[in-house]
Amino acid sequence: MSRTARILLVDDEVPIQRAVAPLLRARGYDVEVVGTGTAALESERTRPPDLIVLDLGLPDVEGTEVCRRIRAESAVPIVVLSARGGETDKVAALDLGADDYVTKPFGPEELLARIRVALRREFSPDGAPYGRLRAGDLTIDYDRRRVLMGDVEIRLTPKEFELLALLARSADRVLTHRAILKAIWGANAVDQPEHLWVLMAQLRKKIEPDPSHPRYLLSEPWVGYRFASESAEG
Amino acid sequence: MASFWRREPPAVVLALAAVVATTASLRLGLRLTNPTTAALLFLLVILITAATSRLWVAIVTSVAADLCLNYFFMPPFGTLTIADPQNWVALFVFFAVGLIGSQLSAAVRDREQEASARRDELGRLFDLSRDVLLTTDSTEAIRQLARFVARRFDLDFAAVCLPRAQQWDIYEAGARSITLDPRELVQAFAGAESALEFDARARTYAGHRTIPIDGEEVRLIPLRFGTKAIGLLAAAGRPVEPDTLDALAGVVAIAVERAQFLEERKAAEVARRGEELKSALLASLSHDLKTPLTAIRVAASNLKAAWIREHDREEQSDLILAEVERLNRLFQNILEMARIDAGSIPTDVRWVHPAEIFEAARDQIEHTLKHHRIVVEDGSDRLVRLDPRLTASALAHVLENAAQYTQPKSPIDVNISVSTDGLTISVRDHGPGISPRDLPHLFDRFYRGTQAGQRVSGTGMGLSIARGMLAAEGGRVWADNCADGGAQFTIVVPAESKVMTEQV
Repeated sequence: MSRTARILLVDDEVPIQRAVAPLLRARGYDVEVVGTGTAALESERTRPPDLIVLDLGLPDVEGTEVCRRIRAESAVPIVVLSARGGETDKVAALDLGADDYVTKPFGPEELLARIRVALRREFSPDGAPYGRLRAGDLTIDYDRRRVLMGDVEIRLTPKEFELLALLARSADRVLTHRAILKAIWGANAVDQPEHLWVLMAQLRKKIEPDPSHPRYLLSEPWVGYRFASESAEG
Repeated sequence: MASFWRREPPAVVLALAAVVATTASLRLGLRLTNPTTAALLFLLVILITAATSRLWVAIVTSVAADLCLNYFFMPPFGTLTIADPQNWVALFVFFAVGLIGSQLSAAVRDREQEASARRDELGRLFDLSRDVLLTTDSTEAIRQLARFVARRFDLDFAAVCLPRAQQWDIYEAGARSITLDPRELVQAFAGAESALEFDARARTYAGHRTIPIDGEEVRLIPLRFGTKAIGLLAAAGRPVEPDTLDALAGVVAIAVERAQFLEERKAAEVARRGEELKSALLASLSHDLKTPLTAIRVAASNLKAAWIREHDREEQSDLILAEVERLNRLFQNILEMARIDAGSIPTDVRWVHPAEIFEAARDQIEHTLKHHRIVVEDGSDRLVRLDPRLTASALAHVLENAAQYTQPKSPIDVNISVSTDGLTISVRDHGPGISPRDLPHLFDRFYRGTQAGQRVSGTGMGLSIARGMLAAEGGRVWADNCADGGAQFTIVVPAESKVMTEQV
């Protein structure tokens, strides 16, 4: 990281502002705090941040709407905070271009990890589509379309490879069911999550040491999947 | 019997007078002695009598007319003997014609009276069914039904008897009170359950029973819904035709079913509202818990972190304390609400100075009131007798509401007064006032102002709790907008009051 990343924290709850802003500042980020969607859009235009932490329950504009408007103008990474139990808002925000989400009540490490991942993508925008990716014992060779577990090659069908490559390219970021379906089967398949469910089960059988406790391909219930580059336990 | 003597003698007297008048006018006035003319005239009198009065009056008239005809118009005149045998035949025929005519005429009239009675009973049945349909209050419905039956059918006693698991529910009405023996009811009900034939002669369905109680004939009629017996109708007083009683029982059975249906629907409605409340509570909790929990969690790990400086440390611990206070208040609210729901708020009444109540309320929500200026006007030198804990708690919720919905630094005026009616506390803020749309729902549970949106952190419980607590001690609270802006909440608690005695 060559320079201090600027983070725009958008949350109307003062206690959250008071707890989260010092946390981010202590980690070396430059933090600006606003309490409304209008102020967030204004600040995004005049002083473009490197990342936005956006609460979905804002008093003036719907959080998802803020998300949509920001995405219309900029590719800045957005991490969504959601206090609502419903997954609908999160998924809507992700489908509108948010990069990740954290559910309240969250711990500081969880938030910091999401911010790190989202910023990594920002600072290396290609997301390493070529070359190799190593995560644990798993090696993905994008150029030759091969997957190795240790030294042993694992034979994947083209669709399985596509799914793994898609998730691994956005390593540690959640991808919604909709986004994955669209990328692999096309726009007509977005309402048929069963395709994804079946394919994911096959893929896990081949690459997961214990398919019932996935190490690499993590489920985010009702939202999507996430490729974990580091073991959760490690 | 008294009414009989009042109604019947004039008829007999009039009829006999008519016979005498006819005789007199023929014999003395017209000097006619033609028996045929006399017989026809007498016949006219008899038929008129039969048409307007009872059969026995007509028969008495016939006999009198017969005697007069014999005495005055059949030779030899002035005796009851008859010379010409032909006249015997004529006299007998006259008597027979009179009797048959009377009978026919009386029969026609009886039928007409019966029809009119039927019409009357139909009218009563119709009125009753209309009463029944217009009844919406399900709890009182069956008692009211018994009242309707007694009133519409002019009965001295009417009772709807419904069998329950162990005993009978008896809803009675009418001027008389009769104690029905449950054993009789059980017997009658068993009879009604076992048989359902229609008795053509009695024109009723099986199961009618008449039992004498206190010298009164009480009729028990089975209530049937479809073919199923659901209870008994007891009636005493004015006699009612058995088939009308059957029809009446039919209407009553439908009404009972309807009342029970209304009751069930109400129970379902209550259950549904309970569910709605539960999910509203959950939604509210999940929102209101998550913010303080997140803040506490992040602030607590901030405190532990290596980077923390002395200034930050203080800030983060303040934050944790404030959020813990907020959670505490939230749990208090939930507990208070649960107690209001359970109806288990014990009241503890004692003599207290109103200022004490205000101070207790202020202490409860010190944190929220920190940024507001409270102006208290308390001119009272009287003590009031009420539950200070409940009143203070309710006032705290109202004050908290005022502080949350107005700008920091804006004043909140509190006015305390004691009158003979009790204690009145008004809380007046200088905020935006209450939108007319919100006013009717302000004290509803989980209702949040439409304007305030999410700007104000609140649970939508405070004002409904305030209302619940005040209700527990017979008080009330309401809100209105002041003409010059801001909202005013008024709390009134009925209480005794007395002048403070100076104690040394």
